[in-house]
Amino acid sequence: MNKNFILYAAILIFGLAAPFIFPAFKVQLSILCVLIVLATTWNIQGGEMGYNSFGNILFYGLGMYLCASVQVGMFFPLAEWTESGGEKTFVHTPSQFFQGMAVGLVVAAVVPTIVAGLIGYSILGLRGHYFAICTLGLGVAAGEISGGIEIIGAGQGFTTPPFPNVGSLEARGEFFYFLSFFTLVLTFIAVRSIYSTRFKLILNAIRDNEDKAEAMGIETMKYKIIGWMISAFFCGLAGGIMGGLVGYIDSTDVAFDGREMGVFMVLMAILGGKGTLWGPIIGATIFHIFKEGFWTFFLGWQYVALGVLIVVIVIYFPEGIMGWLREKYPERFGEVVDEKDRKAQVELK
Amino acid sequence: MRLNKIILSFVSALVILFSTSVASFAKVVGDKIILGAAISLTGKYSSNGVHTQNGYNMAVDRINSMGGVKVGGKTYKFDIIYYDDESNPKRAAQLAERLISQDGVEFMLGPYSSGLTKAIAPVTEKYGVPMVEANGASRSLFTKGYKYLFAVLAPANLYLDVAIETAVELNGGKPVTIAQAFEQDAFSQDVRLGILDAAERTGSKIIIDDKLPKELNDMAATLVKVKQMKPDVLVVSGHTKGALTAIRQIAEMKVDVPMLAMTHCDAAKLSKQHGKNSQYALCASQWHKSLTYKDDFFKDGMTYAADFEKEFGYDPPYQSAESSAALLVFKDAFERANSFDQKKVRDALAATNMQTFYGNIKFAPGGQNVDKPMVLFQVMCDASGSCENKVVAPLKWASAKLIHPIPKWSER
Repeated sequence: MNKNFILYAAILIFGLAAPFIFPAFKVQLSILCVLIVLATTWNIQGGEMGYNSFGNILFYGLGMYLCASVQVGMFFPLAEWTESGGEKTFVHTPSQFFQGMAVGLVVAAVVPTIVAGLIGYSILGLRGHYFAICTLGLGVAAGEISGGIEIIGAGQGFTTPPFPNVGSLEARGEFFYFLSFFTLVLTFIAVRSIYSTRFKLILNAIRDNEDKAEAMGIETMKYKIIGWMISAFFCGLAGGIMGGLVGYIDSTDVAFDGREMGVFMVLMAILGGKGTLWGPIIGATIFHIFKEGFWTFFLGWQYVALGVLIVVIVIYFPEGIMGWLREKYPERFGEVVDEKDRKAQVELK
Repeated sequence: MRLNKIILSFVSALVILFSTSVASFAKVVGDKIILGAAISLTGKYSSNGVHTQNGYNMAVDRINSMGGVKVGGKTYKFDIIYYDDESNPKRAAQLAERLISQDGVEFMLGPYSSGLTKAIAPVTEKYGVPMVEANGASRSLFTKGYKYLFAVLAPANLYLDVAIETAVELNGGKPVTIAQAFEQDAFSQDVRLGILDAAERTGSKIIIDDKLPKELNDMAATLVKVKQMKPDVLVVSGHTKGALTAIRQIAEMKVDVPMLAMTHCDAAKLSKQHGKNSQYALCASQWHKSLTYKDDFFKDGMTYAADFEKEFGYDPPYQSAESSAALLVFKDAFERANSFDQKKVRDALAATNMQTFYGNIKFAPGGQNVDKPMVLFQVMCDASGSCENKVVAPLKWASAKLIHPIPKWSER
């Protein structure tokens, strides 16, 4: 417990100091926080519950559009803001901007949660590949549909309110960094406390054998829906922040970006080790650094490298980095290994 | 919990990695002026991204080899830091931030496409980084009051409205019926706005108004409707893929329409790719090599086209020409500002009034180039089947007469 406390304090201090130690990397660090949130919440379904969802991008995109729409709509007519690709210019005062953002983020978190409940009720009866394909369709459909809705800019995209002129040039970066870091901390605390309850055991039971879990009297449907709603809450929040950070929302490339963000969140969780608390966090961090590195130093090869990375993960680290470490150093994970017994088993094989 | 140790060492490794990877570029190093650009080298705009990059590189080489940029009695050479924005606005905005805050770039060149420029402009504006862009034509870019954004091209809504006006004129001044299909992206939707304006001005009626998906490769549904409703003009815009898809399917389905107006014909190398099938297509273009503008670096359009072909092996589309022009504008502004102060360079850019091989350049307060009209060319083929783009409007540069109406497929 004591050691844990030191670890968390160290990470927290590092997180709070990061934008000042690396002022030039604020945007990347903010994105890293968002990626970790996405990977961690994907892990609730994909890792703990065994339901591989490609549809979490739906909540992310929904949150993004909602946050920006609320932020604009509270003070100006939204239809005029987005008309003709946003020709008219309205300017938020600082207090309008922050009020709008605050309310927008609440809406961006709450509405996707409700949507997850409704959709979950109808599709969480599907299992395995059927569920995965169905959720994949959700993200794609949402992208195409939102690209046709005029009031949110349709194909022309939606320029989110520019950050007001307060303080120095660094203010915007710091604001979005702390917002995303705060969301990350919130997500971590929430997920960690969930994982220490019976709820996690139920999710694991669903993953390991859903029929048996049901036979034991667990209302699996209820828990599956609640699990998905928790993810949606944080995905929506992450989307809302990302919308403000990017400053321009495009239906398929930024909001319902299933091809990138939707796949990345799965990849990051698998890379780090799904079904663990720290796996998605480590996975997201390594993934982000890896991608940024290739992006800078091997221009044009980043997707080739990404492909190779996926192949390497699948072949050599099917359980992810945490899984691999656990297998290699089980004693460090608090598992007691009887060396004799282990050897005996190895020889038996 | 030994696990903590692993995580702690991981975190500290991260700290070391981050702190050592801070690059230390600056705007001007030694005799180099470093410009930053996010370009679509992969993704759906990759072909046009390459056209843009080739245009930039061509001008950098030319300016550097012809004496470079003279500022404060010293000669400087251009250099560009490129990143791949993967045709994604999110990435583009992030890269702009990265170029400015990490690489210390103080002057930027634009990306390809309106959507990406829309994502980058707020960032450059925030930092007061002058950006000369050559490929973001959306009208909404120029109404935002951006002070550091300069576009060497005419806004997107002016691309094809001339075609509608021409059609009305050829119809004896009577309104025409229009069928239109546009990709769901910022640029194409802006072209649509131009058509809507032109239709209203001329009293013409839009009878089909379709949206095409991004990454489009099928527009048969629209064409079926066109076959049924027989409009006077069919307008299609959707970057390179839109142009290629339209021609391919119009030929396959033998759709007869008196006028076919499009964008991106030259970027798609239509006349090469589809030969006679692309004949009679009317295309909006920012530039054509036969225009008679001149400058000291590339001489004129014909010479530029020949030099470009020698270097890159294909006829330059206007995307390359306008990108090259962006560098000429920067050079001119640096020399007039005689300083690397961002504000001074910005003011010099705002006062630009010059002629390049690509056209006259003079910026309106919104940042768009108001001194260069669009041209329309038509794909024309000779009996041997070799096709060429010939300017048909405006009349000042017309090298051929517009063929109208397009002969029916049964008569070709």
